[in-house]
Amino acid sequence: MDRSPSASSSRADGAPLRGRIARLWRHPLLAPLNDGAAWERAAQLLRADFSLTEVRATVVGVEQHLPDLTSLWLRPNRRFRGFLPGQHLALTLNVDGARQSRCFSLSQAPRADGLLRLTIKRQPQGVVSAAAHALKVGQTVGLSQAQGRFAARPGDQPLLLISAGSGVTPMIAIVQGLVVKQPQRSLTLIHCGNSSSGIACADELNDLARQWPGLELILHDSACSGRLNPAQIAAYVPDWQQREALACGPSAFMAMVEQRYAGRLAQLQQERFGFVAAPVDPDAPQHKVRFGDPEQVFTAAAGQSLLNAAIAAGLQPRHGCGKGICRSCQCRKRSGSVRNLLTNAISGNGEELIQLCISTPLSALDLDPQPQGTNR
Amino acid sequence: MNCKTRLDPASLDALAHDLDQLRLAINSQVGERDARHICRVRGTAQAAAISGRGLLMFGFGPVSWVLGVLSLATAKIVENMEVGHNVMHGQYDWMNDPTLNSQSYEWDIVCDGDHWRHSHNVQHHDHTNIVGKDHDYGYGMLRLTESQRWSPWNLLQPLWYLLLAINFQWGVAIHDIKIGRYLKRRMGKEEFRQRMRPFLRKAGRQLFKDYVLFPALAFWQWPRVLLGNLLANLIRNLWTNAIIFCGHFTTDAHTYSREEVRNESRGQWYLRQIQGSSNLEGGRWFHLLSGHLSHQIEHHLFPDLPAPRYAEIAPQVREICARYGIHYNTGSFWKQYWGVLLRMARHSLPTRPRLAAQGS
Repeated sequence: MDRSPSASSSRADGAPLRGRIARLWRHPLLAPLNDGAAWERAAQLLRADFSLTEVRATVVGVEQHLPDLTSLWLRPNRRFRGFLPGQHLALTLNVDGARQSRCFSLSQAPRADGLLRLTIKRQPQGVVSAAAHALKVGQTVGLSQAQGRFAARPGDQPLLLISAGSGVTPMIAIVQGLVVKQPQRSLTLIHCGNSSSGIACADELNDLARQWPGLELILHDSACSGRLNPAQIAAYVPDWQQREALACGPSAFMAMVEQRYAGRLAQLQQERFGFVAAPVDPDAPQHKVRFGDPEQVFTAAAGQSLLNAAIAAGLQPRHGCGKGICRSCQCRKRSGSVRNLLTNAISGNGEELIQLCISTPLSALDLDPQPQGTNR
Repeated sequence: MNCKTRLDPASLDALAHDLDQLRLAINSQVGERDARHICRVRGTAQAAAISGRGLLMFGFGPVSWVLGVLSLATAKIVENMEVGHNVMHGQYDWMNDPTLNSQSYEWDIVCDGDHWRHSHNVQHHDHTNIVGKDHDYGYGMLRLTESQRWSPWNLLQPLWYLLLAINFQWGVAIHDIKIGRYLKRRMGKEEFRQRMRPFLRKAGRQLFKDYVLFPALAFWQWPRVLLGNLLANLIRNLWTNAIIFCGHFTTDAHTYSREEVRNESRGQWYLRQIQGSSNLEGGRWFHLLSGHLSHQIEHHLFPDLPAPRYAEIAPQVREICARYGIHYNTGSFWKQYWGVLLRMARHSLPTRPRLAAQGS
């Protein structure tokens, strides 16, 4: 979001004084008066989206596109610093008492009234997307600041946007942004869907195309024309080689697009949802574990506790009882799957806290020894 | 006194299996309800602290003073027992809430959080009631079993206990420094200084808060704030001390020697936790004010299970104990506390181990 230069310079002048006041305020001798989190919780009893530090937002509308595709209209609090079309952010929800975050693209270009729209596809086993679909108007959610650099590069180069399924979400924002700012720029969007289960946001895209004749919209229905393939891209858009391309969709679709752009990947920007977790392989004799910052790598045998493996590799992770009681060895797992040696419970592959002494890997792991994680 | 139950290896494995199953079943239910509980309790404790300090600072007359003291004492008790102690065990780590994370939580008491995490979570909960290894057993100053060595110092045990109870937060705070080892020259000066540092920092902050900052903010009312804070801390000390002493030092709570626990199996570990702990019976409020340490047995079996769940699994734990012939040590607060005081008085004299036949 644009910020006027004068505003940013006055901030810079104010910074030393503000920094000093902030340091004074945070001084431990002022506890508990300076427990900002506690004051915030109290203020949130009156106004649920209040925060001095975090972006929180109120759900002001819910728009159901397809049975498994819903948009949330959100009004963020004043901590939100704006976004560019194509960016995404992390939505934090309360899922059965636990805070869970997932990234979603903003599916609406910045609006004058500041409302945000997230379009969310319900995943078959996704607890967060299910909780997002259950949200009602008036509820409060947590947000991160906007992230990502998925956007059309400035200039006049003609554009080709290729999306499939819910991958259309950043494309809508990008198209809306461009038709206002650069209506003369040549813009083609190929969007794939399956009409038997419904094509995501088809009506909305048709409306956009009607409103802006400069937008060439190609809706590819895989129910009648099969899955989009590289040859079809070239057939739909003969001058594809001259165009700057942006693609977003499921991983098989992204692989297909990459195949089209083999040898000219510099021309293509890709947005993938989330990270690709290492595959779970319970039969592998050992797994690779990335640990800490600066990163150290060690291997742990199947059935061996991560703590023993780390110590055997010469690392010195913090630890205590070694029996799963004291939690001294608790780490934040960024990705990968583990089995609990006491209960045999198998974890998900996302971010969560694990105890090194009672966890054995089922896949390659990425661990952060700070239990709080780095995003505190 | 009840005899210590010993089980054959097959029964021990079966016991471990039964308890593990119980844990899995209750763990799968943990969720929204537990999150709401801890948030509400924390909010209530903070509200009680604000109203207590408010009454002390800006109230008039003795009634508001007494109410202020009671309110602040309750706030400190709930914050220490139901919030601090339980959060630092990791009972709510699954919530992913950085303000309720076991490794970073800091509580309203002079004991440094990291010291507590080590002396309590690591040492006491693993080595429960092993004489010589569990430093919480007698806190290095009280003799509570025959197998502890007697010295003339123990004759005045009731007096030492009274002093410890009054200053309980200080006893807990210096616990992990291991001053005894320094005095016996088994710890170097540098290590001692390192261990003192977090204690001094935390103690300084607590003293400043209760005896400088808040009295000063009350201007000319400072004496009633200072005295009120002192009394609130005293009430908290006496209460937490009584509850904690009822956890492991009651008449029927057994002790273990280092030899007994060599190569201990998981079943033996569970058995020791049950036989080394004792419960208190009472209503919902009593359990809350004790931080659910009134379910000490369940807490020692599963220290990181959200505490209100202890009351739910207690009947099943009791049933499992009955099945294996293990005594489930429970009773009213006064019965159990009286047992602790008697035990303390008895072992202030040079008691000898009883007949070997009785112990086996």
